Amino acid sequence: MKAKIIKKTDIASFLDKLIEDYEAFAPVEMDGLISFEKVSSSSEALLDYPNSKMPPKQLLFPQSETLFSYSSTKDTGELEVPSGPEKPRLIFSIRPCDAMSFTLLDKVFGGDFKDPYYLNRRANTVLVSIGCTTPRASCFCNSVGGGPFSTEGSDLLLIDIGDEYVVQIVSDKGAKLLDKKGFEDTGKEKLDLAAGVIKTAEASMGPGVKTEGLKEKLDSIFDDPVWQQLTEKCLGCGICTYLCPTCHCFDIVDETIGSGGERVRLWDSCQFPLFTLQASGANPRPTGKERFRQRMMHKFSYLLDSCDQIGCVGCGRCITECPVNLDIRQVLNSIAQLESVK
Amino acid sequence: MRIDKVTVETDDWDIKTFSLSFVNQEDEADFKYIPGQFVELSVLGKGEAPFGMASSPTQPGRLEFTVSKIGVVTTALHNMEAGRTVGVRGPLGNGYPIEELKGKNMVMIGGGFGFSTLRALTNLALDETNRDNFKDITVIYGARRPGLLLYKDDLEKWGKRSDIHLHLTVDTGDEEWAGKVGFVPAVTKEVAPSSEEAYALVCGPPAMIKFTLPVVEELGFPPERTLLSMEMRMKCGLGMCGRCNIGSQYVCRDGPVFSLAKLSRLPQEY
Amino acid sequence: MPELTNKIREVARDLLQQKKVDLVIGFARGTTPMCSTPCFVRQDGEVNGLIWDSFCENNLAKYLVKRSDKIAIIAKGCDARAVVELIKENQISRDQVVIIGVPCQGMVDRGMVRSALEGNEIQEVEEKDDRLIIKGKNFEKVLNRNEFLHPSCKVCTHRNPVIYDILVGDTVKELDTEPYLDVAEFEALTPEEREEYFSKEFAKCIRCYACRNACPLCYCQECFVDCSKPQWIGKTTEASDTAIFHIMRAFHLAGRCVECGACERACPMGVDIRKLNRKLTKDVKERFDYEAGLNLEEVAPLSTFKPDDAEEFILHP
Repeated sequence: MKAKIIKKTDIASFLDKLIEDYEAFAPVEMDGLISFEKVSSSSEALLDYPNSKMPPKQLLFPQSETLFSYSSTKDTGELEVPSGPEKPRLIFSIRPCDAMSFTLLDKVFGGDFKDPYYLNRRANTVLVSIGCTTPRASCFCNSVGGGPFSTEGSDLLLIDIGDEYVVQIVSDKGAKLLDKKGFEDTGKEKLDLAAGVIKTAEASMGPGVKTEGLKEKLDSIFDDPVWQQLTEKCLGCGICTYLCPTCHCFDIVDETIGSGGERVRLWDSCQFPLFTLQASGANPRPTGKERFRQRMMHKFSYLLDSCDQIGCVGCGRCITECPVNLDIRQVLNSIAQLESVK
Repeated sequence: MRIDKVTVETDDWDIKTFSLSFVNQEDEADFKYIPGQFVELSVLGKGEAPFGMASSPTQPGRLEFTVSKIGVVTTALHNMEAGRTVGVRGPLGNGYPIEELKGKNMVMIGGGFGFSTLRALTNLALDETNRDNFKDITVIYGARRPGLLLYKDDLEKWGKRSDIHLHLTVDTGDEEWAGKVGFVPAVTKEVAPSSEEAYALVCGPPAMIKFTLPVVEELGFPPERTLLSMEMRMKCGLGMCGRCNIGSQYVCRDGPVFSLAKLSRLPQEY
Repeated sequence: MPELTNKIREVARDLLQQKKVDLVIGFARGTTPMCSTPCFVRQDGEVNGLIWDSFCENNLAKYLVKRSDKIAIIAKGCDARAVVELIKENQISRDQVVIIGVPCQGMVDRGMVRSALEGNEIQEVEEKDDRLIIKGKNFEKVLNRNEFLHPSCKVCTHRNPVIYDILVGDTVKELDTEPYLDVAEFEALTPEEREEYFSKEFAKCIRCYACRNACPLCYCQECFVDCSKPQWIGKTTEASDTAIFHIMRAFHLAGRCVECGACERACPMGVDIRKLNRKLTKDVKERFDYEAGLNLEEVAPLSTFKPDDAEEFILHP
């Protein structure tokens, strides 16, 4: 592992230096709500925080994004595509689960069809993540392919070893951030310390979900009445999808502004009836049961087919924020216990 | 693209066909499509909606789309006249497997408004540059009543040709109607096209498909040679926005044309 | 609380065994601390999953709409008021539902408890009388539950179910508070201050519709935000779109809102959704002397007309 050492007392000046060159985003607390915001000074940024309420995915895939604008609705004419950010972007102090979510979005937006809006921003963004020394009870990253110190998607990873951070260099983009800053290489002793921190954190985590054989199981129980039971208490709101760092379904609408307007891409949710309602009135997913099943199938089966990766990073937001405590771990584990039907 | 001509197809004025030509010549050169594919037509201020090409690439210089007035974009289109410009994003989707169909008999079974891409395929196969590539062509096409049959010029032309078996039917006839009266599945059964070396291509409203498929199966068409064009609510057309999937298959990207064999391996959620 | 839990189980068991209902809707233990979860019991053997504690915060009346089975529902004061409204609005018939009333001491706001612990993660919470004994890694803290009630519970004037078939537990003393003090305070602000307040609150909204979907009285077949022909409001998180959503929703609940606070509790972003509803509730009370969901007889003031209805807003716009 290639790593440098940054003293905790130096981390603020490190971030401040980066802010000179980058448009920097970091978790910030306002009115008790933690969110990723643009910061102009290291003093605004949180390094020790549970996690943000909204995932930082909106920095790369905004909830509402203008695809192009037009000065007049009188036929085509002057279409204007908004220009991307000029300055390179930095997301600082992002949790490993959220960083990992971008590896899935990379595949979704960079598959056969390339989405320039997402991909340009992604190429222009560098991620400095901070490992989770004390994962929360709702975290289950370790059981969905990640971990409290996973480097997936990150460029640098900070590991807290007490008075210092071991900064693991994950990519060249990350290495560049440390260039000419005078940080020392990490010796074996501190690497061992870091390994110990990682091990303790991993050991503290609960069993999470069993993903082994889950896809096959899900594929086999599509018509099982269990979906009705599992979703009976679901309110059908969009919290679990909007707060999910991997959910990426969207809508495209036209917003009229004066005599012109904009074509806007908006987050959408498979939990809303309107999502699949056809103009004819037909709806292939007419009730909460079908919509909840779609969410599970998309995450744990369909995305494996199309992206070879599941749509869950174990951040636990859908667990802690669900108004009726519909716990995804419980859902998946009760599915795992079902007999397969073929 | 510019709207060159608007044809009112049905006597209730709810379905119109728009003939469009490219404003930029380079775009025309880049736009290579096959029947069964679709585009997103865009009306600024209203949005986009998907439409299958109703024209055949053998008739260059224009694209045709048949639009049923049902939603926001389709209503906006219906209010447009020749000379106006609309946006076109595409071609999207897989289209009918033309290479696979070559050298085979084709039985096209269409109902109502779903007939538009089969019309495109029929015109492609009937084109003099192509006719030899395909064997027998049978078209079974039905509408609720004579006034709702689309593409009357084409139907008339096809009816005069000897190299296509055309069977038109309506659910209820009128005094002038001389063709068949009956639902598409029943007429299919009556016509009983041979499944030998043949593909069945079925396109229409869900109820028609539901009752036609058993007939097609009875006639001996295997699921691999029964093709359907599916409809789902779509937005991006690129397999990203997440709404038009049947299982892991996106109708917009992996479809809209699926074989019954492939569909039967997917969840029955459509 | 354990006594109430036992009584609820007994009642549920009897109802299911005697086939008086097909289903009992109550609460079960959730998967995270301080979180109870709606629970649907159909077999008498499953009644031991039912519990009662300080975290039974959902309004279960939400689950009564569009059903044909016979249901028993565990109802706090606010849940019972919602049931009354649903019966009055013909969403469920009175004989389809057995109301198991539970006098409520107010539900505890876990967010508030969490903020009192300065970031320490709670692993377990035990309740003894009015005390919450909170345990986490290397700490234990005792809090008085009554200091951590949900905002809606702090101003609740109907803790005892106003309608019930079976009452579980003893009635509790109603709070002796000036009911709309919070609204009066807000009304005293200048229009600019009020606008600023709402702009700030609505800016947090992410349009997840959890407020609407948690609300027992938001049962429209097609919500106005979902209409496309015509499209009443935009779907973005622009200030004007979110403001219209919340304002229209509040108006649609005027004279119907039972003040359960389910909207606010469901909101992940902490938007003060109740503020608008409370103002309208107060106006309806003052103008028509009507409170929603108190009895089955009284006619909803906004769906009827009386010659002496206040109408100065028409004469003096």
